[in-house]
Amino acid sequence: MSNTIAGGAVRVLWLKLHPGIILALAVFFFTTLVFAATPSSSTLNPVNGSSATWAGSGIAGATTDETTCVDGTDCDVYTITLTGSPANYKGLVLAISISHQNKLNDYDLYVHKGDLTGPVIASSTAGIPETGEAVAIDPTVSGTGLYTVHVVDSNVLPGDPYSGVATITTPPADSPAHGTAPTYANYQSPPGLGDSSGEPSIGANFNSGRIMTQAVFDTLQVTFNTNTSPATATWLLKDGPNTDIITLDPILFTDSLTGRTVVAQLFGTTSLSSFTDNDGETYTVSQGGGIASGVDHETVGGGPFRLCTADQLVATPLPCAQLAVRGPLTQYPHAVYYASQDIGDAEMALSQDGGLTYEEAHPMYTLVDCGGLHGHIKVSSSGIVYVPNKSCGSTQGLIVSMDNGLTFAVEPVTGSTPNSSDPSVGIGSKGRVYFGYVAGDGHPHITVSDDQGRSWHNDLDVGVPFSIRNTVFPEVVAGDNDRASFFFLGTPSAGDGTGADTGIPFNGVWHGYIATTYNGGRTWFTVDATPNDAVQLGVICTQGTTCPNGTRNLLDFNDITVDKVGRVFTAYTDGCITAACIAKGNDPAASHTRLDNDGATKATIIRQSTGLGLFKSQDGTRLQP
Amino acid sequence: MRRAVLPAFLLFSIIAPFAAARQPAPQILGLRLGMSYDQAHSRLNEIGQFKSEDEGQQVWTLTRDRRYQYVIIGFDRDRQVRYVTALVRPDGKPVSYAEVGDIAHAARSGGPGNFRYTWKVSDKGGRLEYLVIAKGKGQRYLDRYAVKRLGVESETEDRD
Repeated sequence: MSNTIAGGAVRVLWLKLHPGIILALAVFFFTTLVFAATPSSSTLNPVNGSSATWAGSGIAGATTDETTCVDGTDCDVYTITLTGSPANYKGLVLAISISHQNKLNDYDLYVHKGDLTGPVIASSTAGIPETGEAVAIDPTVSGTGLYTVHVVDSNVLPGDPYSGVATITTPPADSPAHGTAPTYANYQSPPGLGDSSGEPSIGANFNSGRIMTQAVFDTLQVTFNTNTSPATATWLLKDGPNTDIITLDPILFTDSLTGRTVVAQLFGTTSLSSFTDNDGETYTVSQGGGIASGVDHETVGGGPFRLCTADQLVATPLPCAQLAVRGPLTQYPHAVYYASQDIGDAEMALSQDGGLTYEEAHPMYTLVDCGGLHGHIKVSSSGIVYVPNKSCGSTQGLIVSMDNGLTFAVEPVTGSTPNSSDPSVGIGSKGRVYFGYVAGDGHPHITVSDDQGRSWHNDLDVGVPFSIRNTVFPEVVAGDNDRASFFFLGTPSAGDGTGADTGIPFNGVWHGYIATTYNGGRTWFTVDATPNDAVQLGVICTQGTTCPNGTRNLLDFNDITVDKVGRVFTAYTDGCITAACIAKGNDPAASHTRLDNDGATKATIIRQSTGLGLFKSQDGTRLQP
Repeated sequence: MRRAVLPAFLLFSIIAPFAAARQPAPQILGLRLGMSYDQAHSRLNEIGQFKSEDEGQQVWTLTRDRRYQYVIIGFDRDRQVRYVTALVRPDGKPVSYAEVGDIAHAARSGGPGNFRYTWKVSDKGGRLEYLVIAKGKGQRYLDRYAVKRLGVESETEDRD
């Protein structure tokens, strides 16, 4: 009897709910069967020619990167298992490619070792026009077992499904960067402007086309007249109302998309700061920095808030609601962040009103994790916040926030070694992180991550073409996901080029170099961007108060940016500006010690003259000098 | 009844101002602001092991303390203790904000997930001014607290 009653109750419940259940099951089957790769997996053996194919789901969608897609909605998964041991794959690679028909559609390919939570060991994320993506993986390095192929709809219209191929084959020929290297021109600030310009920042306003730069007291607006070639530059002083009063650590940040420039000068546990939306014509004085932020080496950065896509809102409503709380509070659409070193830790504060006010600062890390001083904030197009650090235990590190500066993870940059120059990151349009740093041996390195710093690959010494042995001030900017530029000061002279110069004076000629990749960091063009005109002779001391007079003239960093058409600009301090100093720098037989240097602090901008920029969409319009 | 209340009232009257004015001490775990480098190291060697140093700031791992796991210490240009920060042991005995000082006399800021109490203290007749800052994710227990002298620059401070 009771069984009958129970059975009847179940039937009643089923009758009440079954339309919903049927709908849920339909959605389940629709997403898992219709929208999954077919087949969903394969096994490959260590034999040249072992291969498998699959068909993509054919779903259309658009999302920023792997962190913003929802499987079954705008990305899908295919797994590959490699049998045998890594040694069995000597001389072989796992080549994975996807292809589709419509070149205006944009699929991206990510390969994780293990499941989707494993490291991204390879990716291919070219933008339109394209009809395919491909990677090659060396199983002797990354191992055998499970690989997960994640195919993301970056921007895909209906009716163009992809097909995938995975093959064990021989490796592609390893070739250096090919094509034409970019060229650059130097623009020195006019007399009376930028004469005291240590540690400059630079930003590009995409709306106005102007460049903004800041060093010590001077905030400068620079306009390039492209009606002539080479272009001419007009420099104008555009100081904020409260940023030329005191200068401890000067910082300028321009949000290229909104056109807002924030200028800050450290002042106690905050900064004197103001922002401008018209390249310095008028300013709004702001709160300055985060409440009770740190006391040293502040940085300001910003970009999009991290907010959920419509698909993510459906899939994970609670985390999305938590993110939304830290979204914009005013019409200004982007986040602004302020970070600084404090006593025993480093902290970051979010501004939800475009830099007018800031919240109470949140701890990013303590000195147990990393050194207190850090590099500059960068924000990805999907709103992930990055702060690089030169010393996190035995490696350099990357501090990452996925929730608009509420919580932070410290990711070691595996393969790197600590140094005294702050590292820098550039973030590609689809989230690829380029981490430029000075290795422990003084060489300029750059390494790449496709999983928010959890794993790194393609760590390269880009100073090899010039035999660079000492490097300072690594600065990185990225455009498209596959394109980035890395600016640094370097010298081929060996010895302690960044020390306190206590013994025989360091003898070296420093130039500014720019390394550029157009293939996601696999190869780089390295160019001497200050040929025939040294930036500094002798030591560039990074040892703080122990530095001898005249060797800390460049202070702590330079900067790099990109304009709307993909043209690269850097700001640097020129320490060698007189004819005598420049001549010595060009004479290999001359002495090149600090005693031969000017110790000058002259604001100078490098502007890319020719070559491809950092945005593929602009390749059709050749850059003119 | 009146006999019992009156002494209690008098006692409270005497104690209350002192209790209310209880200020956080300018030291953590015997590491006192202004202490010499050698004195500080002597104390640090008693309570922990050196872990790392960055820009003149040292991290020490505490070996026996049930509450704190690390101490971070910084020195001024005269090599005297400029600040001390203690980080609690995640699985250790919790430390409440009230154990640091009278929170009624602290400036409270932040909010859920990011609490901060700050005391600004003037000691020795105004000769020693210092900040005491207790921070934590939780409302009751702190994650770290620091004491810091005001008006001194760090050993390696390099004003640009």
